Amino acid sequence: MATEVLTNGDAQAADWPDRYYHVDQILDRPGPRTDPSFMAGDGVKDFLRSQCKILVIGAGGLGCEILANLALSGFKDIHVIDMDTIDISNLNRQFLFRPKDVGKPKAIVAAEFIMNRVPGVKVTPYYGKIQDKDDDYYMQFNLVICGLDSVEARRWINATLVNLVDPENPESLKPLIDGGTEGFKGQARVILPTITSCYECSLDMLNKPTAFPICTIANTPRLPEHCIEWASVLEWPRVFQDKKLDTDDPEHIGWLYKTALARAKEFKIEGVTWSLTQGVVKNIIPAIASTNAIIAASCCNEAFKIATSSAAYLNNYFMLIGTDGVYSYTFEHEKREDCPVCGGEALDISISRDWTVDRLIEMLIEKQDIQIKKPSLSTATKQIYFQAPPQLEELTRPNLEKKVSELVEDGDHITVTASSLPFNLTLRVKYV
Amino acid sequence: MSNTGESQDIDHATSAISPPDNKTRRYDRQLRLWAASGQSALESARILVLSASATSTAVLKNLVLPGIGSFTLLDPADATSADAGNNFFLNGQASVGRPRAVEAVPLLRELNDSVGGEAVVRNVEDVLSEEEGREWVRGFSLVVAHNLRKDTLERLAKMLWEDVSAPPLIVVRSAGFLAEFFIQFHEQCVSEPHTDETPPSLRITRPFPALREWAVGVDYDALDPTDHGHVPFAVILVRAVEDWKAEHGALPSTYAEKQAFKAVLRALKKKPDEENFDEAEAQAWRVWAGDAAPADVRKLFELSPLDPSTASSTQFTSTVPTDSEQQVEITPTTPNAPFHALLRTLARFADAHEGLLPLSGALPDMRTDTASYVRLQELFKDQARAEKEEFAALLREQHPDVASLVSADALDTFVKNAHHVRVLRGRRWGAWEETARGAGLATALQNQPREAATHLVLSAVATLLNDNPDGSTVTLDALKAEVHKLIGENAEVPQELEDAIGEVARAPTADLPNTAAFLGGLIAQEAIKMITKQYVPVNGYCVVDLVDSWTCVIGKDT
Repeated sequence: MATEVLTNGDAQAADWPDRYYHVDQILDRPGPRTDPSFMAGDGVKDFLRSQCKILVIGAGGLGCEILANLALSGFKDIHVIDMDTIDISNLNRQFLFRPKDVGKPKAIVAAEFIMNRVPGVKVTPYYGKIQDKDDDYYMQFNLVICGLDSVEARRWINATLVNLVDPENPESLKPLIDGGTEGFKGQARVILPTITSCYECSLDMLNKPTAFPICTIANTPRLPEHCIEWASVLEWPRVFQDKKLDTDDPEHIGWLYKTALARAKEFKIEGVTWSLTQGVVKNIIPAIASTNAIIAASCCNEAFKIATSSAAYLNNYFMLIGTDGVYSYTFEHEKREDCPVCGGEALDISISRDWTVDRLIEMLIEKQDIQIKKPSLSTATKQIYFQAPPQLEELTRPNLEKKVSELVEDGDHITVTASSLPFNLTLRVKYV
Repeated sequence: MSNTGESQDIDHATSAISPPDNKTRRYDRQLRLWAASGQSALESARILVLSASATSTAVLKNLVLPGIGSFTLLDPADATSADAGNNFFLNGQASVGRPRAVEAVPLLRELNDSVGGEAVVRNVEDVLSEEEGREWVRGFSLVVAHNLRKDTLERLAKMLWEDVSAPPLIVVRSAGFLAEFFIQFHEQCVSEPHTDETPPSLRITRPFPALREWAVGVDYDALDPTDHGHVPFAVILVRAVEDWKAEHGALPSTYAEKQAFKAVLRALKKKPDEENFDEAEAQAWRVWAGDAAPADVRKLFELSPLDPSTASSTQFTSTVPTDSEQQVEITPTTPNAPFHALLRTLARFADAHEGLLPLSGALPDMRTDTASYVRLQELFKDQARAEKEEFAALLREQHPDVASLVSADALDTFVKNAHHVRVLRGRRWGAWEETARGAGLATALQNQPREAATHLVLSAVATLLNDNPDGSTVTLDALKAEVHKLIGENAEVPQELEDAIGEVARAPTADLPNTAAFLGGLIAQEAIKMITKQYVPVNGYCVVDLVDSWTCVIGKDT
């Protein structure tokens, strides 16, 4: 996919007198808690407005807000990546988009909007995946802000920025600011790769996704959700075989709804609706403009403070709960010494000598602080089990029934890979 | 299994089912939070915003997007070069020299076609000095004022406080990285707080006849192994409670008794993988929690509605329900009459049922087979329906005039949430400083130094800006002197106060884009809660420090 570069006049010429009257009150003098390294006045303004290059990942609910805030704060060289196109359900919060934009790429429409509204700001969109870009691309930025709804994409950018760090080159450390929201709740955090706790360090803070046991879905449905899962997980592949379910296709959702409704009727279960069907199969998370505004503002405020040193930045986690009053909690999330991304150490696991490879794989899938779906295992000398390609899977499948202790010595390392895992996980096995 | 003859044409299969309309699709992600009832409340709301600052337009953006009815932006000023630089809802330099409210309104309206919006280029002071203007202000659903001149704000707050039916007022102040807001409201009745998603009482200790009958009829030994593993936990618990009471006379209460009760549940297991018995043990807390009305709801039974005739007094400052000897009569003109009638009916219902509230009808999922679950669900629904009808009859009998004002949906919502309903009593803006002036504020500064310091300094800067809006008189010394007028000349000053003073002196008139956006989100969240009467709004000053990135609430208590 092509990168479209749009320019928007000469950055300096667009700065009319008093344009930054508000922001300059902060940049012209230090506050009582400002670090002595702060270069008040022209030095910091020049860096912010002429040199600093910032990357925004996601042009959705948080991304739209982030782009507007950065532009008004004085960042002038902004890049944005998003692989999605605009859907009508985005319009209740993604305020740079209008009904006429439905179907167009978010990154491109958002970039154009910002450049029209805020003169002198250059926003360079990329309509595609973050995984399309290499280390050189990420190396060009001073800061990265993420407004994503995907755990997988966050893990990827987190691991990429941690790997980018070269102790010999201070420029290689790219602060990562990450925001997320759900309903009236949200969080913003600052990650200094290899120095502070990283995204991977906190994986166990994520809520476990609701998963219904397959026997409940197949045999003893009780809730409308069970009927919907039956329609999407069991009936769709049975009826349509290789045809892929597209949860964005209203016809596919319609079929699931109808099928789930029929099953619900058969079992006298109430509550299957179009909205619930869509919510279950797409795993929809409620989202509103106001929460996104708070979290995006928090992210941009930290970016502004880091870029200018005008005030101390968040160390390192801000959590907001707006359901019962306004409750927030600011704390330092601690680095995990055995973090597979930034800890550099192998993860110790203690298992029984009787455990089969299959049992170990099951344990890894269950583990909240690892979160993998289809792990492949190997040691320095052996292939234990590979999920793909099919020939290798077939070849290694007999190992599933074998005991791990027959294949791996006590204290040896197992390397775990998975397509959803943006790094190799090393386990040190100990038998108990 | 072969799918011959089963393959379906999607077009054909879905012909009778059409996707939701465009409006439902547009609002899908928020309807999952506040549903059609919340959306309809938002669509009836008319919001007045005073000043077209960056913060004000940020608030409005977050209210126009979810679809409020309409808004009015009142501001007398022309846009300056500084406004053009920090306000996203101006057309850059093209807006300079034109009324900023007029410039901002179309850019806000284009966010959502279904929202009305108008600009009024007038001075608030002028509007408030005419009875017609005051009446106009009182006609809105909610008023938001950002960095309004202190004298004007005091006048506005007083006027809106004197009338119980006047709209809530959200007072917002900000300077650089520091900010606060306060919602002045008389009473907020929250019928859907969404604070506790655990289904309330399942009547485990006080089963209704059909539930009890099922439970006592269970013969564990006669059940085949599959059925044994499918007895729903609610039934297991009801039965265990009945047996326990027969043997011990009372419910388990000591730690040892509770452990013994759990041991009884464990002993019922015939196979280790019978998860229904694990669930019963995990849910055993329902036995000691009991089924009577929660204490917070019982407290509301004694709550008297507000009396409109004493509106201007300080009566509204009470934050705890007053214990009234004779209950005030509820008439259709009583503030929040429908809610108070429902609340009083709830008290009557609890009286008649030895402390029970009407059954919500909600049943959590549990390990069981479809037939048992559906049967149990039907029992709960039938019972809930019967109790709701009884409740409705009580309401009509006790409050015939008000009952007609309560829609079937409102009654349904109230009964479903009876275990969680909340009533908040607010305060007049500024009342805390008046009552706590001197020693009270000095104590607050010792107890919550950073929060109190931020609030006091924002108060101090508002006083200084009242006469010199350009900030030319805001110095470290001047701010400190103003703070001492509030806390007393000799009060001890913590480091946090020095920090807050320094931060405000650095940027006394700065409406920073990120601070504005942060406040815009927080205040819109609160406005939505006030309007929908869903979720619980903040009571007190919500103070924000974006240097250390925290928020906190102070000034809640008298």
